[in-house]
Amino acid sequence: MKVTIAKLQLFAAQARLNVLRMIQAGKSGHMGGALSCIDVVTALYFEVMNIDPSNPKDPDRDRFILSAGHKAMAQYAVLAEKGFFDYKVLDTYGQLDTPLPGHPNMHELSGVEANTGALGHGLSIAVGMALGLKLDKSKAKVYVVMGDGELPEGSNWEAFSAASHYQANNLVVIIDKNNLQISGVSNQIMSMEPLSDRLRCFGWEVFEMDGNDMKQIVSTLTKKKQYPNKPTAIVAHTIKAKGLSFAQDKVAYHYWSPNDEELDLAKQEIQRQIVSCKEQINHE
Amino acid sequence: MNKPTFDPRKAFGQAVSQYANKDSRIVILSADSGKSSGFGEFAQKFPERYFEFGIMEQGVIGFASGLATTGKIPIFCAIAPFVTARPFEMLRNDCGYMHQNVKIVGRNGGMTYSDLGSTHHSLEDYAITRMIPNFVVLAPQDICEIETSVKAMIEHQGPVYMRIGSQALTKEFEDESFVIGQATIRKTGKDVTIISTGYVYQDVLAAIKKLQKENIEAEWISMPTIKPLDTKTLLESVKKTRKVVVVEEHYVVGGLASAIIEVLSEFDPVKVKRIGLPHLFVSSGPYDALKKKYNVDATGIYNQIKAFLSII
Repeated sequence: MKVTIAKLQLFAAQARLNVLRMIQAGKSGHMGGALSCIDVVTALYFEVMNIDPSNPKDPDRDRFILSAGHKAMAQYAVLAEKGFFDYKVLDTYGQLDTPLPGHPNMHELSGVEANTGALGHGLSIAVGMALGLKLDKSKAKVYVVMGDGELPEGSNWEAFSAASHYQANNLVVIIDKNNLQISGVSNQIMSMEPLSDRLRCFGWEVFEMDGNDMKQIVSTLTKKKQYPNKPTAIVAHTIKAKGLSFAQDKVAYHYWSPNDEELDLAKQEIQRQIVSCKEQINHE
Repeated sequence: MNKPTFDPRKAFGQAVSQYANKDSRIVILSADSGKSSGFGEFAQKFPERYFEFGIMEQGVIGFASGLATTGKIPIFCAIAPFVTARPFEMLRNDCGYMHQNVKIVGRNGGMTYSDLGSTHHSLEDYAITRMIPNFVVLAPQDICEIETSVKAMIEHQGPVYMRIGSQALTKEFEDESFVIGQATIRKTGKDVTIISTGYVYQDVLAAIKKLQKENIEAEWISMPTIKPLDTKTLLESVKKTRKVVVVEEHYVVGGLASAIIEVLSEFDPVKVKRIGLPHLFVSSGPYDALKKKYNVDATGIYNQIKAFLSII
């Protein structure tokens, strides 16, 4: 391992604090989904992916595509933590001409690989990248974080089909399954169950994990594949707004416009998590 | 005029294949559409650069964008409405907003898929694609121009939409280079400026010849680039003739005529006659019969120009 689980947990907690810093600057943001996937995004950037902020255009870098583009704050928070840009840039969130728009723009920020936000696009772009990298005989992999709420988009299933047809074994999709979206419970709005079986039927190798448990995330993302020629899908069971006890698993926090008091409470809770992670590291 | 004997789809496929032979960055994407777009030979010769995806045009535009991020030049050709109207948001976001070097080609454009009906017509593709920032929109005219515009399209860095038809064409404009954004004055004149784009040139030329017999000297500008618009050539001609006719196989709303009117209304307002298809779902039937019905065959174009000139 490049870093210990405790350190990854610390980075994730610090990234959560970065999300709150952006919300403070912009006065609102898609908080719930950002915090459900942020442990996965942290693990990808710090443990799994071959990516170097000082050489962000390396042709052989691994690619990260945030198909659920509204969770952009999770990516920005981790990019800042990874050293892609100065923390001060986080304070431009929500401001005119910020490099951190509400949905990511590859032309605005180093480290962003695609302009996502409209749902059901990211996976197709990632499939094209994976095929291009295979043509180049590159060892690079493409990692995609999708939301469970975007799964009903038909274009995703075009891409799921094409990826397995072309044996895009350099493609890894993580579905951030927090089971909540703006109108309510995802599986009541449009059931995608049995999700893992559906993905298997589409020709993917499928794993499931607790997407907020760093140990499980790392072991799943680094697991040896049973079917080396298939693309990989990981269903990450997560909790919306994970990390904020008052907001967890509540659809009202899909998009959050906190008052000062709420924001202070949130920050205190995350700061306690940071202290606890540091104690854990010292203990080790 | 030469006899129209050349299939534009074949000419297009051959032209692309010629460049693809030399440039390994070129990849061909197919939605069960590649072989009928003239890529059968390419598919056999370079199977690793030929991606058949089946009928999933939304996905294919996204795949094209992703391939382009790795330095490839993806070319995706299929029936025009299926690469424009259906996957519009993918064109807009994945190609335009991401500014990727993707080439989208709508074949059997306009109403050349005549008897297959409105689902297979594309009378709004210029409108759809010219609305997307960063996109270049091309409608080459004859067989020679299809060949030269393919070269320009491939050499251009950025997203391009090109429309070609399916009806047989002539080799009319030989030994000409193709510069994106540059119109050509095919005939000088003082009485009216006639601007045409795409494969309608044969009917336009016939109408112009008929007008000439009546001593009406039209200035004919062929404008195979719809975007960026050659405003210089347009405004210079209008300065002289003070009246404009635009001929295109497209709805009279949203296409080249609209683009021209947008410019003229701001810089030199003159009367503009739009010759194209009325804003409705047109009938199906033989192509020539459709053109006649909607007054966009040579006689219809001539009659519409005459009527326009008689009232201004």
